[in-house]
Amino acid sequence: MSVQAPPTSITTRIVRVQAFQILLVLIAIWVVFAILEGDRFATVGNMRLVAQNAAILAILGVGMTFVIITAGIDLSIGSVMVFSGVIGAKVMVAQGGDGWGTAWLGIAASVAAGLAWGLVNGVLVAKAKIPPLIVTLGTLGMALGLAQIITKGVDIREVPLVMQSKIGYGNAFGDVPMLAGIALVFLVVGGVVLHLTRFGRHTYAIGSNEEAARRVGLKVDRHLIAVYAISGGLAGVAGILSLAQFATTAIAGQSQTNLNVIAAVVIGGTSLFGGVGTIFGTVVGLFIPAVLQNGFIIVGIQPFWQQVAVGAVLIVAVYVDQLRRAAAQRGGRTNVLSRLRGRESTSNEE
Amino acid sequence: MKRTSRGLAAAAAVALAVGSLAACGSSDGGGGGSDSKKIAFIQGVSGDEFYITMQCGIEAEAKKLGAKVTTQGPEKFDPTQQKPIVDSVVASRPDAILVAPTDVSAMQAPLKAASDAGIKVVLVDTTVNDPSFAVSQISSDNEGGGAAAFEAIKELAPDGGKVLVVSTDPGVSTVDARAKGFKDAAAKDSSFQFLGVQYSHNEPTQAAKIVTAALQKDPDIVGIFATNVFSAEGSATGIRQAGKQGKVNVVGFDAGPAQVKQLRDGTVQALIAQQPDVIGSDGVQQAIAALDGKSTKKTIQTGSTIITKDNVDGDAKDAVYQSSC
Amino acid sequence: MSEQPILEARGLSRRFGHVTALDGADFDVRPGEVVALIGDNGAGKSTLVKALSGNLAVDSGEIRFDGKPVAIETPTVASGLGIETVYQDLALAPHLDPVANMFLGREVMRPGVLGALGFMDAKQMRVGAQEAFDLLGATVTDLNVPVGSMSGGQRQAIAIARAVHWANRVVFLDEPTAALGVRQTANVLDTIRRVRDHGVAVVFISHSMPHVIEVSDRVQVLRMGRRVATFETAQTSMEELVGAMTGVNGEAA
Repeated sequence: MSVQAPPTSITTRIVRVQAFQILLVLIAIWVVFAILEGDRFATVGNMRLVAQNAAILAILGVGMTFVIITAGIDLSIGSVMVFSGVIGAKVMVAQGGDGWGTAWLGIAASVAAGLAWGLVNGVLVAKAKIPPLIVTLGTLGMALGLAQIITKGVDIREVPLVMQSKIGYGNAFGDVPMLAGIALVFLVVGGVVLHLTRFGRHTYAIGSNEEAARRVGLKVDRHLIAVYAISGGLAGVAGILSLAQFATTAIAGQSQTNLNVIAAVVIGGTSLFGGVGTIFGTVVGLFIPAVLQNGFIIVGIQPFWQQVAVGAVLIVAVYVDQLRRAAAQRGGRTNVLSRLRGRESTSNEE
Repeated sequence: MKRTSRGLAAAAAVALAVGSLAACGSSDGGGGGSDSKKIAFIQGVSGDEFYITMQCGIEAEAKKLGAKVTTQGPEKFDPTQQKPIVDSVVASRPDAILVAPTDVSAMQAPLKAASDAGIKVVLVDTTVNDPSFAVSQISSDNEGGGAAAFEAIKELAPDGGKVLVVSTDPGVSTVDARAKGFKDAAAKDSSFQFLGVQYSHNEPTQAAKIVTAALQKDPDIVGIFATNVFSAEGSATGIRQAGKQGKVNVVGFDAGPAQVKQLRDGTVQALIAQQPDVIGSDGVQQAIAALDGKSTKKTIQTGSTIITKDNVDGDAKDAVYQSSC
Repeated sequence: MSEQPILEARGLSRRFGHVTALDGADFDVRPGEVVALIGDNGAGKSTLVKALSGNLAVDSGEIRFDGKPVAIETPTVASGLGIETVYQDLALAPHLDPVANMFLGREVMRPGVLGALGFMDAKQMRVGAQEAFDLLGATVTDLNVPVGSMSGGQRQAIAIARAVHWANRVVFLDEPTAALGVRQTANVLDTIRRVRDHGVAVVFISHSMPHVIEVSDRVQVLRMGRRVATFETAQTSMEELVGAMTGVNGEAA
């Protein structure tokens, strides 16, 4: 009969998740800045702005989390976002007007454009078996190039006023920036789908062991196409939101968006090797660079330090992931700090 | 509980690191009593000699007037990177902000919000769609600079011919004005044929590609006006790749160390230098005046200098940009 | 031959380029018996299992299930017939917990609208998995940790429990004892007998002659892509089996 060891308690499991550990890091950073510049940093107004500026990246992060959990990558999101914004702007300019009718048309066009690129990525990855890194590197260039062809390199700045006033700089539920509210909806839906539904379960399974997923009869190709389509579609959403926030298609911008989002997803504990990850972790992973940048500027530190700090956090996060995987292969459990302590104590004995 | 302590320890370590960084950061500021005015300077892009020279002008003037300056800038000339920086600077509540907006539309709302928060905003170099909230706008006479660039080409190629403009991104008010000034001046002279404006997106490699392609199409181009530092750098590379050195005259805008070296090497024949240090010091003066409740000048235009190989070590020596103060 | 085979293959052939993996191979297994499938490396054992479990298309030949010809084109078709396979490399998702692995591709959905929206019934699956493990006496100590962090024996137990839970007709076990210690091997062999006693046909692929003799009812030998011999286990010896595998005794039958 089965020998049942005491099952792992819920609290132990939560604490063991990297996202939780990284949350403690975020809180620590926040506390330090709050102590240094409390009256300026730790204000509702400042936190509103940080959330508003992280909102669009968060929406991209939802799609990227799904993609990376399947052991894939999507480098194209920044370009697809620009392309979608351009399509949305073009449609709205053609329609004319400053009202919601025009805005909704632009939103639909932008999301459809993003979805189309996502499908292209997905089909090439799943059916043509081209590595995702290459596929999305290719579509990165294609989407941006087409955006420049369509606009002849000239940013479109005619954005319906309702989009700027209600979405870009509007508020939801009282004092929450509309952008942050929208992002929150996508984060919650994304998290629920990932953690509670069959779709999410299959996403993990494919990233964990694609061959095993095929053998139990999962439609792996179709699922991968769907995952990349989600990422593309969310880039379409991000594109139209960026248009609402900046009132320009910012064709030259977003060149580092893909890397920033990937960094956030990885900092949040999602493994680049697939099979592991949470939406919550991605959110925390996004806020670490955002809060660091905000705090550094308020304290008055050279902007370059922010990149150094985020780079260091990224490397530490991946190192922790490596240790965890190595330990899992040995059949044991990770305990990063005890390893470090172990090393310290040996050196002390010497 | 062991695992919790691990997380806490890591968090504590990070806190320590951030704290010590922050500590040395704030000690950097130095000088100035508690009542000294705080001025924040937000560059268009960090690490660019134009903005560094402007920063030098700002810091020198601020020291003179007893104000404290902090400088921030995005990695790229990109409004999506600059906006979070502006928001954070506003949250730090300086008395005045000197800012070079990276987009006429995108930076409108964040800078307006800064002004609404009671911060005096001075637009330096570039501007926004509706700058009425700003206490002052200071920029080079960019159209004049463009016209000067055409004059320089005319002197180098008196017989006329085809001329091209390599610009950065459309929608950046200053470079658009430079291109316009050049175009208008070229239109007045029938011996020159204007081939239009190409955009390098501020990347030298892109500018090089544009120039090699243009020379494939029109091998008889006599002059190229590169509207900023990176475009000039790339244009010179493109001409070298096409083997057209000496046949095509390049006039650069701005006078960073790379341009001056190109001028000395003979790859670039003339440079139109702006006066970023003057823009900076004027900006500080206007900001302080606004803070003191005095009247300000709504717009100030600064001039430009034509630098050639002949005057680079003479009259125009001081017009060259600095890479550090 | 008193009883009709549940699963039968006749003259299966499959070539990979110049390599002939199966060369007119025959195979049969009856309900409630353990058939050991043996053969040297490259004899075609794995290819045959893949063909019978819907993971590989054959060039020619016929597969019969319950006496009727069938086309097992995908693993899903095989599953539909009640055929499950435990692979040598186990084919578990290492990052998922035992319950998720058990129900992978066959998730139990919540009733009603939530189910239609794709929500899974975690509690139901947990109970089902626990029952399946208990049934086999599988020592799965923790249903919440990823199977990747478990021992080889535990993973083997989960893989077998999963196959047996879903297979009501035929189970293929490809080298299930290869990486196991003595006690765990005994557990697996015990499990095999238990499954057989439920009336399920078990096909046991192994290199270990002692295990083959210990657990199987019949032994079928593959050599160079075809079946060269069939033995009643009770009437054969290890020497005879090895001879048939290597071809030393000629075409024994």
